[in-house]
Amino acid sequence: MKTKGHKAFASLRAGVVATVAAALVITPLAVANSAEVPTFGKKCTTEGVSTGTSSKSLVCAASSGGKLTWQRVRLAATNANPVAALTPPKGSIEFWHYRPEDKAHFELIISNYEARYPGTKITQVIKTTTDYNATARVQILANPRAALFATARGSIFNDFVNSGLTLNISNQRFVKQNLVSKGLTAGTVDGKVLGVPYHYLFNNPVYNTEIWAKEKWAFPKNLTQWTAWCKDAKAKGYVPLAWPGATRGQAAQISNSALMNSAASYADLSKNLEDLNSGKIDLTSPWFKGVADIYVKLRQAGCFPDNPTGVTEASALNLFATGKSPILPTGTFSMGAVKALNPELGGKMNLMSMVLTDGKVIAEGIMNNTFNLSVNAKSSSTNQKIALSFLSYLATGPVAAIYGNATTQHVNVLDVEYTNVDLLNTSPFQGKNTMLAPRFLILNTAVSDLTQDALIQIVGGKNTDEVLADFSKQIKQKLAG
Amino acid sequence: MGLPALLLFLAFYLYPALQNLQFATRRWDGITEPEFVGFRNFTNLLTNDDLFYKTLGNNLEFTFLVVIFQTIFALLFAVYLVNNSKVNIALRTLYFFPTILSSVSVGMIWLFLYDPNFGALNLFFNKLGLNSFALNWLGDEKSALYAIAFTQVWFHTGQMMVVYIAGLQQIPKELYEAAEVDGASRWKQFRNVTWPMAMPTTLVVMAYTTIQSFRAFDLIMVMTNSTAGPNNSTNIFSTLIYLTLFNELRLGYAAAQTIFMVIVMILITWLQRQTFGKRYEK
Repeated sequence: MKTKGHKAFASLRAGVVATVAAALVITPLAVANSAEVPTFGKKCTTEGVSTGTSSKSLVCAASSGGKLTWQRVRLAATNANPVAALTPPKGSIEFWHYRPEDKAHFELIISNYEARYPGTKITQVIKTTTDYNATARVQILANPRAALFATARGSIFNDFVNSGLTLNISNQRFVKQNLVSKGLTAGTVDGKVLGVPYHYLFNNPVYNTEIWAKEKWAFPKNLTQWTAWCKDAKAKGYVPLAWPGATRGQAAQISNSALMNSAASYADLSKNLEDLNSGKIDLTSPWFKGVADIYVKLRQAGCFPDNPTGVTEASALNLFATGKSPILPTGTFSMGAVKALNPELGGKMNLMSMVLTDGKVIAEGIMNNTFNLSVNAKSSSTNQKIALSFLSYLATGPVAAIYGNATTQHVNVLDVEYTNVDLLNTSPFQGKNTMLAPRFLILNTAVSDLTQDALIQIVGGKNTDEVLADFSKQIKQKLAG
Repeated sequence: MGLPALLLFLAFYLYPALQNLQFATRRWDGITEPEFVGFRNFTNLLTNDDLFYKTLGNNLEFTFLVVIFQTIFALLFAVYLVNNSKVNIALRTLYFFPTILSSVSVGMIWLFLYDPNFGALNLFFNKLGLNSFALNWLGDEKSALYAIAFTQVWFHTGQMMVVYIAGLQQIPKELYEAAEVDGASRWKQFRNVTWPMAMPTTLVVMAYTTIQSFRAFDLIMVMTNSTAGPNNSTNIFSTLIYLTLFNELRLGYAAAQTIFMVIVMILITWLQRQTFGKRYEK
């Protein structure tokens, strides 16, 4: 017969067992959670994980002692907080650009700015791209009121720099504290920031998150995994990459990924591309043959659509928007067009890395800027101050948010709150190890076009050696002319 | 009296033409200072530019195809639709319809029709089991030029048909009546009455079609996404000059190309006059 004391002991024992068991289960969870709740300076477990890309975001990174801790995401050149816009003197300047599609957005921003700083006026002077590229430099040289101007990154920007039109703004606080430092490359010459690249685009493959989850695919991490993934996706009835081979500009986006890790370092890659641009090397060089070989391997793995050289951008968008293809290998800028075709894909797209090497990885993604904003070095001091003030205003989070959300493009500014779900989803890519789109290092348009055409022909099934030799000859003739 | 016209001619024709000659002796990107290079652009064009000869070949092939087929189809339609019956008028309207569309619209329509994977043309062939006819129309350098030439013919045949109908309606009915009395078949009536009597119209149609085919710029640019086709297979003079000028920013070289284009056009027109004009005059 069991006594009361025995019952009490049994209850106590059960309670102790339950408590110990609960403690055994809960303690490690609590420890794990304490490590994973991102708190500045606290321990973390997964290197590279970040909480976002604002100036307040944290990233799990190794400290000087080698321990993984939550640290501040440092996207700007310094750890200091972003600054407010500079106060301008009274006066008026002209803002020259070639983006009529942005007129209304800039109009709104300018009216807010003028309301905040009465007595200061900004007038937009807008031209078509062709007209701007052909005539704006000469006109701005003769017009000191044109204190702020846009230039396309690359050769046009270089022409303006060589004309002494771009003021060095490296020391401005907003440049150091408000802008993503990696995104300044396109506006930096010899270490001096001469232009603010405003857009921040990602020329990386966009993938359909729903299909990806449904097929339980892992993200390919190298060329071998990519070719294996293509074979698997094709076997499942998909067109692995909705590649628009008939639209050179968009077909060329994938070449950024192929070039990205094709050399031992970014410096080597830049030199190779500059040499290709100047004719020192041609497409038959071992380095470029390696790049072409990536295309051959992707082609052989069935990555591209049928009749790839006839697939227009519209067809590629259609393939992706209808779910026939899980990847659109162009960039963030295509997401708007995809959503126009299939609004249900809103919020179901994201960006992925495309590492097309089995060797050393020097970058995991591509970023790009479409235009730089520069202050006219030949304007009066007052006008320059107004231009700097307006530029610093554009470089504040809330103002850049107006522009970014209106144009559905990321901007090169910290603390921008994206209201567009797709921009929001893809913003963490700003924190990744990205490379400024290397294909634009080929400044000669004819060389650039022929290089891309050669790669397109290779995807089309032509003999690689013949294509490279033929297009090298064409490039040589263009450079001689 | 003729002075204003002369001034306009000098200002808007002769001066730009002379300035083009001047540009052709410069190396110039339109931004930096032009550099005088003498005749280097011309020698380069003739001795070290495969693309120039490829373009010349493409242009001649394109022009030949378009002129021949557009003229034949226009004449054929005109012969069958020359009488002003209600059905004929309706059919004329139908055939003329593409002409009123903008070339960009026509280019876009055919770009979709030719799409190798979604296009109606290949879907049609595949439905019939004629898979070997379903080509990569605009993406393959072997077929791209022909695909665009067909579109050009489709686009402008109706327009030339109307010109022919106007010409055919001027032929006296008595000639056909006399031929009928002599027992001439329809074919003989066509060969011995219609064809010789329509020769002046044919000359106009051919001259106009030739010029039109040299200016097929917009159609080619739209249908090839401004690339002049795979491996430049649809590059003709007008696209070549545009791409050299605005894409590569080689103004001097483009000016030299323009001069050669004018020479080729003059030669073709002269040959047409020599071949058909003299026969007609006889």
